[in-house]
Amino acid sequence: MAEVTLEKLHKRYGDETAVESLDFTVHDGETLGVVGPSGCGKTTTLRMIAGFETPTDGVVRFDSEDVTHVPPEKRNVGLVFQSYALFNNMSVLANVAFGLKMEGVGKEERRERAQELLDMLGIGDLGDRSPESLSGGQQQRVGLARALAIEPDILLLDEPMTGLDAKLKTRLRTEMSNLLEELGVTALYVTHDQEEAMAMCDRIAVLNDGHIEQIGTPDTVYEQPANTFVANFIGTSNVLRGKANGDSVDLGFTRVQDERLEAVNGEATLIARPEAFDVDDDGFEAQVRDVHYLGERIQATAELPDGTDLTLKFDSFDRQVSADDVVSLALDLDDVHVVD
Amino acid sequence: MSEDVHDTAGGQGVVARIDGLIAGPTAKAVVLGMMVFVLLLLMVPIVFTFVASFAESAAGALPSGFFTLDNWRTVLGLGDYGVQTSVGPGLAFSAMLATGGMVLNIIIGVPIAYALTRYNFFARDWINAIAILPLVPGIILGVAFLRTYPENAGSALGLIVGYALLKSPYMVLTVQSSFQSMDLQQLEESSRSLGASWPRTFLTVIVPNAKDGIIAGSIICWTLAAAEFNFTYMVYARGPRPFSLFLFENISNAPYLQSAAAISVYFLIVVAAITVLQLVGNRGFSTSSDR
Repeated sequence: MAEVTLEKLHKRYGDETAVESLDFTVHDGETLGVVGPSGCGKTTTLRMIAGFETPTDGVVRFDSEDVTHVPPEKRNVGLVFQSYALFNNMSVLANVAFGLKMEGVGKEERRERAQELLDMLGIGDLGDRSPESLSGGQQQRVGLARALAIEPDILLLDEPMTGLDAKLKTRLRTEMSNLLEELGVTALYVTHDQEEAMAMCDRIAVLNDGHIEQIGTPDTVYEQPANTFVANFIGTSNVLRGKANGDSVDLGFTRVQDERLEAVNGEATLIARPEAFDVDDDGFEAQVRDVHYLGERIQATAELPDGTDLTLKFDSFDRQVSADDVVSLALDLDDVHVVD
Repeated sequence: MSEDVHDTAGGQGVVARIDGLIAGPTAKAVVLGMMVFVLLLLMVPIVFTFVASFAESAAGALPSGFFTLDNWRTVLGLGDYGVQTSVGPGLAFSAMLATGGMVLNIIIGVPIAYALTRYNFFARDWINAIAILPLVPGIILGVAFLRTYPENAGSALGLIVGYALLKSPYMVLTVQSSFQSMDLQQLEESSRSLGASWPRTFLTVIVPNAKDGIIAGSIICWTLAAAEFNFTYMVYARGPRPFSLFLFENISNAPYLQSAAAISVYFLIVVAAITVLQLVGNRGFSTSSDR
């Protein structure tokens, strides 16, 4: 496995900029998630690492080697797609052994290694089957085994779980995550599903309009979003604004005091996750408009006297609010993040 | 107001009834019935002709005097009278020409179908239209060939090229529909990331995955080329008499029962060609084990 570095990577299509000045490193053995809205440059970044797109500017390095202009078949990159892209003219075993065959590995050895991987992924008995006859989850496992068989410098996963049902997705997510860790694979995981990225990845890069908004561990990105875009994209957020004065800020419906505000000049922006609000008799008033049951949690929308909506989340078993209630809420400052 | 409600409810009832009819067993029976009717419509003349080829007389409304092989003997050049031309050499020559045309169609048609499906390029829609529409009738292409290549138009090579040009839309169309059902870009990229060069990817992954389309296209191209009359009639100059001309002579000059035998020979050849192409195609594309 290798450490993969992107240095000032740009990609333009005519006047359109797809990716702008990307600078990051996927460390050896790390799984880096790349998330962002449609058209933000996630897949273009992945394709530049794989060699299917040539950057307009910048460098792609595998360890210290510059591979920017190395063709895809010579990069030693594993690819796993949402559509699986399995070769239906070959058996499952032949699919997994295909890359080894291209490397010139002997027939016996490549069959043995392919079978080992299939066993590891719990589909050892499917080697003789046609990929078409397998379920979505099984096909995704074959795709993963095929990509891992060549012991790639980096494994690139492009929305690999999209299209699978929720239960299977959760199971496969855990299995895949454990396997990548066990094998020490360097991986780039592109997804639009932030929850999946947080569960699977060691670090997450949030992309927007072709540039990185924030890169960090899942808890950092969730708890300390760099800006309102990240706060709104990763999870649900209440963006609260007010004029800072010393260590306090008047948000209109309540006044908040915190030493972190001393560093803010003028307008202060506070990011409050839905979990940051509690029902408290000494708090501020809000009218609950609707309540949605989400299983373990309930999500409520409450309207402040000035018309602003707040999104709130409470544990289901401790149901404290109902639709049309007027409740008194308090903001837990430990769960609030101040952005510049 | 209540009338509106009633109307809406009535409308929904009609829609539900239509839905039920479309999805229910009645619909299945109607579709099956239509299929059987169309098949019968196609099969009855073929079966009637085939059966008639074994009759002694066609004087009445229905052929009579079964069972004789005289008509077949005559058509195959084994009888004492009739056309007196053996079908053998013409048949072999036509089979060779049709196979040549079909191979040429595979070599040219498959990459064209791939490019049209996989890439966006200038005037793609126009090229697509030209590639899949059988624009030029055989007789026109024949005249064009004679004017352009007066020396070679009637040769075996001229006939092969002509057949390939005339039948190429069928190959492009069937292979294109196979390609359209795949994610070509991701298949290609998977293969290349695993170390296969582009030509290897094309030959070992892309083409075998389009086998159904290629087999179907080959069958159509071969059978239509084997019986292509207009172009052959216009340009044929030398070599054994192609089968389509042989058929024409038998049908136009021989009695009805001998024509029936000649047509039956063609039907049998088509069935044999389809069987062979299916078998060869399936075996040729099968890479199910890691060889």
